[in-house]
Amino acid sequence: MATVTITDVWKYYGKTMAVKDLNIDVRDNEFLCLLGPSGCGKSSTLRMIAGLEFISSGDIYFGDVRVNDVPPKDRDIAMVFENYALYPHKTVFENLANPLKFQKMNRADITERVEWAAEMLQISELLQRKPVELSGGQKQRTAIGRAIVREPKVFLFDEPIAHLDAKLRSHMRGELKHLQRRLETTTIYVTHDQLEGMTMADRIAVMHEGVLQQLGTPGDIYNHPVNEFVAGFVGEPPMNFLDCRIERVGDSVSLVNDNIKLVLGGDQVRRLEEKSAAGEVRLGIRPDDLSVEMGRDHGFAIDAKIFVTEPLGGDMLVDAELGKDRVTVKRKIAEMGQPGEPCGISLNIEKLHVFDRESGEAIF
Amino acid sequence: MASREIVRYKSPARSAFSVLVILFLIIFFVWTVLPLAIMLITSFKDLLDAFKLPQEGDWGGVGVMFDFTPTGDHYIELFTEKHFGVYMRNSLIASLGSAVVSVFLGSMAAYALSRAEFRGKRDLLFWIISTRMAPVVAVMVPLYVIFRSSGLVGTLPGLILAYTTFNLPFAIWILKGFFDNVPYAIEEAALCDGCNRWQALRMIMPLVAPGVGAFIVLCVLFGWNDFLFASIIGSGGAKTLPVATAELVQPVKIQWGSIMAAGVITTVPMMFLGLLIRRYLVTGLTMGAVRE
Repeated sequence: MATVTITDVWKYYGKTMAVKDLNIDVRDNEFLCLLGPSGCGKSSTLRMIAGLEFISSGDIYFGDVRVNDVPPKDRDIAMVFENYALYPHKTVFENLANPLKFQKMNRADITERVEWAAEMLQISELLQRKPVELSGGQKQRTAIGRAIVREPKVFLFDEPIAHLDAKLRSHMRGELKHLQRRLETTTIYVTHDQLEGMTMADRIAVMHEGVLQQLGTPGDIYNHPVNEFVAGFVGEPPMNFLDCRIERVGDSVSLVNDNIKLVLGGDQVRRLEEKSAAGEVRLGIRPDDLSVEMGRDHGFAIDAKIFVTEPLGGDMLVDAELGKDRVTVKRKIAEMGQPGEPCGISLNIEKLHVFDRESGEAIF
Repeated sequence: MASREIVRYKSPARSAFSVLVILFLIIFFVWTVLPLAIMLITSFKDLLDAFKLPQEGDWGGVGVMFDFTPTGDHYIELFTEKHFGVYMRNSLIASLGSAVVSVFLGSMAAYALSRAEFRGKRDLLFWIISTRMAPVVAVMVPLYVIFRSSGLVGTLPGLILAYTTFNLPFAIWILKGFFDNVPYAIEEAALCDGCNRWQALRMIMPLVAPGVGAFIVLCVLFGWNDFLFASIIGSGGAKTLPVATAELVQPVKIQWGSIMAAGVITTVPMMFLGLLIRRYLVTGLTMGAVRE
């Protein structure tokens, strides 16, 4: 039960900057996900919260207590590592019991807690085994078990399910979220997989090159990305980007390039004017907000050619060529043409994103 | 990494080669084991039997060597009249004492050198091993002077210190390699579990047990078999088995039977040590701890 406050935190490794001026408030009982590509500073941030690395400058608070100089053992945290980090010479039971042993808990209580945790994670029958005899998923459960046996102030997860196979990963996403809700413990979860962030987190902090890009709910991040990086990183398949220029004819304002001409709505025009956008912009549109039909008489606004189609079972992805650009469209599965055949594309103007081409900042 | 099956394809050259290999192994085996066997047999013979040898080149006459009445006199004499019990205790204390001190100091130094990054670390590592590069004889005289003025000559602590001087660099280098192979995450997990640095080090000690085992064997062997230090620094109060054995060679009479018996009692404990510690030498304990 604790809040975690990260204030003006910087992290340097020698002269290399890993984290730049980071400010995050993690609320009590919140599931916060630090999301970003590798090398974005998310793991460094987590390790500073755990106390495994020094903070170059800035402060981290647990509740009202400044923990910069508190060693990990006194921070009351529990961490799950990417590579599990089980004690290979100890059984599953001993692995789970270890944190309790250091809390000087008596033996009967330890057994009770360990059995409770093991039951929760369905590893009760594995308690006498050594890590070497466990499968990846079982090791991962053991590592989580070691974290939940005591009631820490904060859970720290460092890509805990990154190495599991796809099916088990999707299963564990649900389990972890359920567990966090049930234990009601503040959780900070590091991942590079945007799907994990979207599915599990209350709020997501997207990081890139050591800088916090956006902090918000999954819905916020998905629907209102603050810049091109966030827009491109979150969502699968990723957002399509097209270079355009703004053309004003009388009252109507449109986005134009060699293949498209999109007349913007009144609200969008107003926001363009507010931000006094430059003439050159980048248009972003998610694959779900595009439609595609085959043939020449499609009645859609944009002519394109099929590049490739990727059936996904119920849905399919269609990659289409618009001149030298390429866009991905997601639609219900249907019989589509061969590569090179003409098709038509329409887009939902309401769902359009426009970014400054220089800075990448979102205009809307 | 687990070992793999090696695929072999039959060919005449390979068959011929394997015959040669077996032949070589037989010769090698006889070469290694024969001196030990002769030592063992001779230690149970009286002086007359000991010199009953076949003529040179007379392979049929080898049987003569096994034609004797066994006697335990040499062993009894060593332990009653010649105080070999005391020397054996001295040898044990000196070699084990040095091994324990070296493992204790060495594992801490190795842990620090493995985990911490600091300026001049490579130079320090090289300096540590460079103390082993000079031959022992070269440092013997200054070492003797230092030991004499400290009152350590002829004492067991003196001998332990002398062996430790030479074992410690080895300990640090061997154990550093083993610590390097222990994933940092295991320690970090221990730190998060509520350990301090010391407790975290203790948590990972079982993972470097193969290194400690290997090192203890080397260290004990060095002390146990050492003659030079024992004869100069240990002389008098801290006489060990090799020195005592050498003293059996007297100007008027070389006591072959006793020497062979002394050889046996010097060799046998080390063989048992090897057997005892063998299971710690098997690596692979860290397998499955982390996903590499």
